[in-house]
Amino acid sequence: MAYLTLSNITKQYGDAVVVDDFNLDVEKGEFVSFLGPSGCGKTTTLRMVAGFEIPTSGKITINGMDVTNNAPNQRNVGMIFQAYALFPNMTVVQNIGFGLRIRKEPESAVKERVKEMISLINLEKHADKYPYQLSGGQQQRVALARALANRPQVLLLDEPLSALDAKIRVSLRAEIRAIQRRLGITAIFVTHDQEEALSISDRVVVMYDGNVEQVGTPFEIYNFPKTPFVANFVGSLNTAVAELTDPAKGLLNVDGVQLASAAKMDGLKKGDKVRIAIRPERFSFASEQKKANVLDCQIENITFLGSVVRVHILIGKSKFTIDTFNYPSLELPKIGATDQVTCSKEAVLILGPSEN
Amino acid sequence: MNLFSRIRKFPFWSWVWLIVGALYFLIPLYATLRHSLRMERDVIGFKAYVRAFEDPAFFETFLLSNLLAVATIIASVILIVPTAYWIRLRVPEARRITEFITLLPFVVPAIILVFGLIRIYSSPIGVPFTGIELLQPLTTTKLGTYALIVAGYMVLGMPYMYRSVDTGMRTVDIRTLTEAAQSLGANWFTIIAQVILPNIRSALLSGALLTFAIVVGEVTLASFLGVDAFGPYLFLIGQHRAYEPAALSFVTFLLTWFAMGLIQLSTGGQGQAAGAH
Repeated sequence: MAYLTLSNITKQYGDAVVVDDFNLDVEKGEFVSFLGPSGCGKTTTLRMVAGFEIPTSGKITINGMDVTNNAPNQRNVGMIFQAYALFPNMTVVQNIGFGLRIRKEPESAVKERVKEMISLINLEKHADKYPYQLSGGQQQRVALARALANRPQVLLLDEPLSALDAKIRVSLRAEIRAIQRRLGITAIFVTHDQEEALSISDRVVVMYDGNVEQVGTPFEIYNFPKTPFVANFVGSLNTAVAELTDPAKGLLNVDGVQLASAAKMDGLKKGDKVRIAIRPERFSFASEQKKANVLDCQIENITFLGSVVRVHILIGKSKFTIDTFNYPSLELPKIGATDQVTCSKEAVLILGPSEN
Repeated sequence: MNLFSRIRKFPFWSWVWLIVGALYFLIPLYATLRHSLRMERDVIGFKAYVRAFEDPAFFETFLLSNLLAVATIIASVILIVPTAYWIRLRVPEARRITEFITLLPFVVPAIILVFGLIRIYSSPIGVPFTGIELLQPLTTTKLGTYALIVAGYMVLGMPYMYRSVDTGMRTVDIRTLTEAAQSLGANWFTIIAQVILPNIRSALLSGALLTFAIVVGEVTLASFLGVDAFGPYLFLIGQHRAYEPAALSFVTFLLTWFAMGLIQLSTGGQGQAAGAH
């Protein structure tokens, strides 16, 4: 049995269904992210695990114990908030020791644990400072130490990096992941930032409009999106409407240009219109190495994105983008010129029937 | 930096208003002090103070008023802090009605309040038509009368205490701090005592200061409930003597500020909890 289970969780506010029949099993020590746009129900689900919201129906168990209706202070879950939520009247040491003192642990044990936690987050020099004397990143590290000091069964992180600047965000997320791995603690991380979710998680739960769209490893979510929403939400994507010309061979037609796809076409027949998707990095210029699909294109624009160069092309009447690594010897085509691009059959995903 | 930019940097009108405001408070205070020192013709001395302090009733009434003020502040904090906290946390829609209720003392005069209290609590309170008595008359005992007057003072101080507390809570992220404390295992009492109260200390202090000032000088409730408090004593002295009331007023002012200084010191010498910015 999984360590943390959410079974058929539904949350309604009046007639509005915020979370609809959510099911998830999380193993001990696993790091799972809830990813989705604002209002998709990810934070509500996290808050139900924390006990700040009670599900309208469904069951939550932690380590085999039903905690669905338990108060937050009876669950032993650690929570980290976007706004840090450090107690302003307490120093770093007092903040970290707060939960241990609530549990009435002996003072010597509290001191030892607090010292251990401060060393874990490398803030020994700031132990006696108040939260307002610390930077955002330092405050969030204290919040992490405070949540971990109680040895929680599950660590819940509600967009903990959103209020930090880009560099700190990247370094702190690596630190959070390293600490989580070292302690082997089960963690649920809520974010709307796909890069954050994909880089930090063992598994990602992509949510939309209160529903789970897909659960999978970051690799699966990125490379094999199961729904149009996941495909569009995670990473950049070229989409176009194609007509099936030979479902058995996986052949499609996009604006008169023939494409081959390795995607399953069960239930589809010749003449059906489908929405296809190709990641920009799955394209390359045909001069490098020809793959299954070789397509004539016209170069529309070229944009430099640092380590990546994005080339905007026109295939038939459809607009596509190609991402290619930026290296000094890169020979870029000229804007307005015609060229050929190539991609494998596997790169051509079918998102489903097209309404157009 | 040239002269022009220096002049521009000098907040002229800010200083003007500050000085005008300060004079508004300091001139009456100075006039009271000056008057209190001129009891003897052509001599500036402390005779009025000596006379006032010789009267044991001064210390008795002043001590009683101080005790009543402390009791009122404690009772107000116990009533108002959890109420304001709960309204902010769980029933924000009740804020308007609560604000309206807290403003009632401004429109209902103290005389109405005290007659209401006397009318209700000077006879036994029982369950109608059953003959069962729930509460003996409060006005017949000293303790009961003190309880009544503290309740009355709480009502009079409510607009100031509630608004101070509510404003203090507005500056703190009550919801997130509460949830953080809950996730660490804290119960409601611990959250209010260890997380909320220390972070609204400055607001509490200003509410307490106003309540203290109201209670120490209050006349109507104390007179009609027959409590020998400082307000009625000062009123009585003022009707019979010329200089002692001025001396007592000035001393009261200093003692009130001394008491508030002590409160500030006892709360750690910092209005707002360290870090609660």
